Amino acid sequence: MKCFRFGVRFAPGCARSAKLAALLAAGLFALSAAAADNEHATLIREATLYASPATAGERLVQLERGRDLMVLERKNADGNQTWMKVFVTITQGENSRQVTGWLPGTPVVTAATMGADQIIYGEAVNAEQEAERRGGRKGAAEDALRLYQRVGEYFPNSPLAGEATFRFADIRWQLDRSKTRGQTPVDEQLMQAVIKKFPGSRWADLAAYDLLDNKMCPEWKGLADCPLKESTAYEVYAREHPRSPKAAEALYNAAWRQAALADIFRIQGQPASSTAARNRAMALTQELASQLQPEWKTRAASLLYKLQQNISVYGISQ
Amino acid sequence: MSGAQMVLRKTNSRTRGNQIRWAPLLFIAIAIATLAAPARAADKEHGTLIQEVSMHVAPDANSQKVAMASRGRDVLLVMARSTVGGKDWAQVLVKVDTSRMEPREVSGWVESRMVITTATPNGDQIIFGEAVDSERQGETRGGRRHAAEDAMRLYYRMQEYFPNSPLAGEALWRAADIRWQLEKAGVLTRPSSRERSPEMRMEIEDETMKELIKKFPHTRWADLASYDLIDNKLCGEWKDDVRCPEKESDMYEHYAHEHPESPKAAEALYNAAWRQAALVEMFRTAHQQDKSEKARKKGIDIATELAAKQVESDWGPRARALIYALQQNVPADLTGRSFGR
Repeated sequence: MKCFRFGVRFAPGCARSAKLAALLAAGLFALSAAAADNEHATLIREATLYASPATAGERLVQLERGRDLMVLERKNADGNQTWMKVFVTITQGENSRQVTGWLPGTPVVTAATMGADQIIYGEAVNAEQEAERRGGRKGAAEDALRLYQRVGEYFPNSPLAGEATFRFADIRWQLDRSKTRGQTPVDEQLMQAVIKKFPGSRWADLAAYDLLDNKMCPEWKGLADCPLKESTAYEVYAREHPRSPKAAEALYNAAWRQAALADIFRIQGQPASSTAARNRAMALTQELASQLQPEWKTRAASLLYKLQQNISVYGISQ
Repeated sequence: MSGAQMVLRKTNSRTRGNQIRWAPLLFIAIAIATLAAPARAADKEHGTLIQEVSMHVAPDANSQKVAMASRGRDVLLVMARSTVGGKDWAQVLVKVDTSRMEPREVSGWVESRMVITTATPNGDQIIFGEAVDSERQGETRGGRRHAAEDAMRLYYRMQEYFPNSPLAGEALWRAADIRWQLEKAGVLTRPSSRERSPEMRMEIEDETMKELIKKFPHTRWADLASYDLIDNKLCGEWKDDVRCPEKESDMYEHYAHEHPESPKAAEALYNAAWRQAALVEMFRTAHQQDKSEKARKKGIDIATELAAKQVESDWGPRARALIYALQQNVPADLTGRSFGR
């Protein structure tokens, strides 16, 4: 009889092997329990992972801000500095590898650090600002993305969790979009997760707005199908998310596409369709003009004037 | 036809003897007419263009083009309007007033509907809305060329034509800010922008900012203008000179306390605290532990003030992250710090 437990072959005699297996099982359970007890932590500055707790030790890898770390051990070493033995999974594209090593404790924020959600979120905002700045730090957007992700993961009950989770998904969305340049749809998984996790919230509204990108045509090519489809998508959004911070923008986009449609139909020699699109655009614009936000109120006024005066918004004026 | 031209035509119909007899009177009439001309021009209806248009020699789209006039140009309606082929036309005088060139005036015919004048209902909203559109275009990658300049002119025209509009303050602020950012980008491209002292580089033109502060004193727009003006006092590159972050921290802290209601007050406090964090590192590297410790305490104090004031905004967590970094001796990231960054 061959007894296999946990991939270990025990022979001969299953009684002893059963006892050993029980011991092993207990040991593994304890290990996994210990892993669960181990603190999650992340970096707020880039840091080097060493093979031993000393800056003179062998350098294993450079870790960026926001990496998910598992703290295994703490030690005072190398001039009475706090060092942490950490376990980190580094994923690059399809490949991932796991590394264990030592880090100086100063740039590490653990889940148990007082106000850690605010500290990590604050660093994420800093990184996001850096990414938006011309000549900002390379990789700052990815840093922000990871740091926001950590806030959502480590502190699901923090008041910052919703905003952090959305910003994480949004940065990923924007980075993916800039890669595909609107030619192929962006992976919706993270945005759908925001909607599922925070239903009926402003973050769900914002995520739903980002998802509209996948419904947009890469190019209109002067045809009516695209603006028609896009206008409907924006209008449906505005109706379904009336309290969204993006509701006014969606309504404006719907109106503007109707105005463009009026021009396209006019160029195609379909005056009846052109008039219908123009009337629809005017109705949407008038609805938007009741907005309190000056930006959208005035943009609506400007679009309405163009519609009334038959000033083209797409192509050549009449 | 102007008054001066009418006087001249009447004069030409007279005999030489009469001319001699009428000469003193004619001189007085011309003088009066010349003086009256600018006053009449000022009374004329002003407007601006909401789209780039061709100016023609005659009220006809097929007639010869005189020039292209871009959005936001100051348009003076010189002659009466005319309707040709079912379209309304206006003969206008357009001021081409680039900041670095002498103002130039071009006259021609444009379609009336492209010109928003002081008499257009909701003219202030239409111009402002068109300016916002242009501003967004200017911010979009691959957006319309010179859209930022269009936005700047449109905002400026709006407050010029509608000084009593509720949007006037914001319009002048946006015009001034766009001009500031464009000029700042220009200054940043020069090698002198990397000089330590701000006196060593060209100043950003502050005329519109000062106009705004004068026209709308003690408003949020004036507060925002005062914040932009700090740019002219910032060092280029610090070059390890502690006087730069010291002076800059003081300026930002001073601003935050002088303009507590400003939308930029929190950012100013953060900038002041961050510069103290930078000083901690600079003094530590220079082995001046006492000064380093003093800067650390000051940085924590300013960041604590900010965290207490900004509970709801992003500045609260940013201040807490800075306090944590200062408490744990996490060094400030000084890479790539220079003027305007």
